Amino acid sequence: MSGDKVRLNTEWLCDCGGCHVAIVDLHEKILQVVENIEIQKCPVLTDVKDYPEADVGILTGSIRTEHDRHAAEEMRKKCKTIIAFGTCAVYGGLHGAGLAHTSEEIMDYVYKTTPTTKTDFIPDSDITGLEHVVTPIDEVIDVDLYLPGCPPHAHFIFESLSALVEGRTPKAGQDTVCAGCKRTMKKTEVAEIVNSQDGIAEDDVCFLSQGYICLGSVTLDRCLAPCPNHGIMCTGCAGPTMQILSEPNHDIRTEVSERMARLTKIDKDTIISHMEKSAKTHYAYAMATKMIGNKPTFLIQQWIADVEAGK
Amino acid sequence: MLEMKIKEKACRGCKLCLDVCPTECFIFNDETEKAEVSVLENCIACLSCDYICPSGAITHNNHHVVANFYRNIHFSQRMEKFL
Repeated sequence: MSGDKVRLNTEWLCDCGGCHVAIVDLHEKILQVVENIEIQKCPVLTDVKDYPEADVGILTGSIRTEHDRHAAEEMRKKCKTIIAFGTCAVYGGLHGAGLAHTSEEIMDYVYKTTPTTKTDFIPDSDITGLEHVVTPIDEVIDVDLYLPGCPPHAHFIFESLSALVEGRTPKAGQDTVCAGCKRTMKKTEVAEIVNSQDGIAEDDVCFLSQGYICLGSVTLDRCLAPCPNHGIMCTGCAGPTMQILSEPNHDIRTEVSERMARLTKIDKDTIISHMEKSAKTHYAYAMATKMIGNKPTFLIQQWIADVEAGK
Repeated sequence: MLEMKIKEKACRGCKLCLDVCPTECFIFNDETEKAEVSVLENCIACLSCDYICPSGAITHNNHHVVANFYRNIHFSQRMEKFL
């Protein structure tokens, strides 16, 4: 890819659009990028309807509609290298939590029964149909590279794109969010889990030490830890760490509970049970991918059934 | 020779590595509030510290690597492709 500019296509599937905005977050550095990259199709920048031949294709979002599937397949045909860009593309993303419900339930809720909805019909024209579940793009097309993050921080985007242009391996570590958090983890006498709405956490002490569920230790750092450093517990938006993904019996709830139980006086099983009851929140970003969905420890349907049965 | 390093900037001072190490390789520096490798010779490369560390701050080099006996195949096929 040396000599001529690298031709880039981007396409936007089912997502919030934040990943495309994140590319703009490169600020002045985007000038360095465009020195070497020719942006062809890019829904937020260029009015290109078809899919030109390209060296690199960035796909954001997951497959939720028939149009998403078509767009992903066209990108694969025309781009030499496909990057699954952002958590939705890599793991399915937040809306992956939709697998806990049928498409009919979701459509009925959104268009008919939400308290703020005034209509009572489901639109049936002009939009393509909703697929049965959310699918990460690598289950539909071959993916060459993965860059998770919600969205990935500009630091990682720049490093990845630069490495790709220069033909080198990007310097993307496997640190967790905790590695970039400024809070100190210390052992405390805290005996109960605290919900975020029920208390105000101290600024310089780890959330786990204070009894708040924070997913920093089980989340890959593709963000530079802005949330915990500004008083918000990590919700795991960049997806699980390599350790959780590679080890079948390591899981988000088992790792958080292991650490939290050692830092506080809260029993490990209590933490596990608490996290299972709110599993749709804790596993939301990555539950659509088989990397999590096929784990023997991941029993989301059972956890939801237990909550509904009042267990 | 076996090497074990703690990325000082990433260490959150939780002392979990001191808790789980079966051979007492670590000490805690009260001034910096960070863990340090004290007796590397004791390390049996069980990697317990590596697994428990919330930050992924501990790395081992030149240790005896055993074959993976059961991993998440779906992810393992993709691991090298992560940026």
